[in-house]
Amino acid sequence: MKNRFAISMALVGLALAAPARAGDVLVIQKDKTFSQQEITIRSGDRVVFRNEDSVVHNLYSTSPGFEFEIKTQLPGQSADERFDGKGEADVRCAIHPQMKLRVKVDR
Amino acid sequence: MPWASSLARSEALTPGGYQEFMSGYRRGAAAPAPETNPSTPEREQLGKTLFFDPRLSASGVMSCGTCHNPGLAWGDGMPKGVGHGMKTLGRRTPTLLNVAWGELFFWDGRAASLEEQALGPIASPDEMNLSLEQLTARIREIPEYRPLFEAAYPGEPISPPTIAKAIASYERTIVSGSAPFDRWIDGAEDAISEDAKRGFLLFNTKAQCSTCHATWRFTDDAFHDIGVPGEDRGRGKHLPQIGVAQFAFKTPTLRNVDRRAPYMHDGSEPSLEAVIELYDRGGKAVRPSLAREMQRLDLSDGDKSALLAFLKTLTSSDAPVALPVLPR
Repeated sequence: MKNRFAISMALVGLALAAPARAGDVLVIQKDKTFSQQEITIRSGDRVVFRNEDSVVHNLYSTSPGFEFEIKTQLPGQSADERFDGKGEADVRCAIHPQMKLRVKVDR
Repeated sequence: MPWASSLARSEALTPGGYQEFMSGYRRGAAAPAPETNPSTPEREQLGKTLFFDPRLSASGVMSCGTCHNPGLAWGDGMPKGVGHGMKTLGRRTPTLLNVAWGELFFWDGRAASLEEQALGPIASPDEMNLSLEQLTARIREIPEYRPLFEAAYPGEPISPPTIAKAIASYERTIVSGSAPFDRWIDGAEDAISEDAKRGFLLFNTKAQCSTCHATWRFTDDAFHDIGVPGEDRGRGKHLPQIGVAQFAFKTPTLRNVDRRAPYMHDGSEPSLEAVIELYDRGGKAVRPSLAREMQRLDLSDGDKSALLAFLKTLTSSDAPVALPVLPR
């Protein structure tokens, strides 16, 4: 899990403070896109969504079993979401539809 | 807050100061097409023929081009569209300019592709009122359509999917031409007035227009509640559980915008001057879903006229569209 987090950090290429727990994956919102288009995590892992844009975002998923909404997220704010179960969750921004992230959750 | 810092910057940067924003407005590559429907001249020609064919409506008098009229910047110039039996529709006809780059379609984003969008108004009882079964039968009965379909989609039947793909291929050719603004971005200093250049600076700073009206297409393809009064929930109809989607509509392009009055999704603002006033006051309808970016701007009269001068530089002088000879 630590490796996955390290890879995720390398992908975004930014020296940021690490999320608190092993198993967390950081996804950054910048220039109205996600830093990754697809991530694979284990059930129970958390994904930390950080808004590094100058505009607000509003992430949500309607994928069965993974429904959630992170309400309005101001520039600079982080929020996390825990994914339990097995399957795929499509995460979108309700404002900016070009922001698309698939979260693959393994048991 | 980003807009606060931009405000301070704009005040410190007159005259000039706009150079740093110009690179964000250069035109991109040629119009994209999906792998499932690559564009070819045959597909575009078939699509153009279908687009302007009124037999795609139950009445036989409405084509796609009736509302998306190239002579009216691919809209109809009315506050709201008019459909089958002269029924007034719920929203203004959107322009088709630069839809090739779009993300979601219709004012509320309910179609995920142009192919999906194209059949909606044909089959809608309020619009062209022709069921897809009737549409297919009618086109199949026109002998001169057959070779056009065979050239465009060899081996595929005349069917709703091929009709939709052809129309989408044609719509991807509808691209706004080079405007004075583009020539200025490309280095022709005199292509737009000094007032328009100041308007461009305001557009990117104090007035915050570029937060959503971004890139050379002047849209972020996104959905915002900008405080237009009314009961139409727009994107919220399709995302009822999402607060910010309520009363949100897709950001329209600003290309050729001075040819496309009246404005907003419901045609409720008659002029660009009126639109600027709406933004200056931070929107008219204050609701929980109102976009946070909607703030009072406190634009001066000079600011407003500069913005207007800038918006008028976005209009291209495009060649008239030649109507196709329709198959019989």
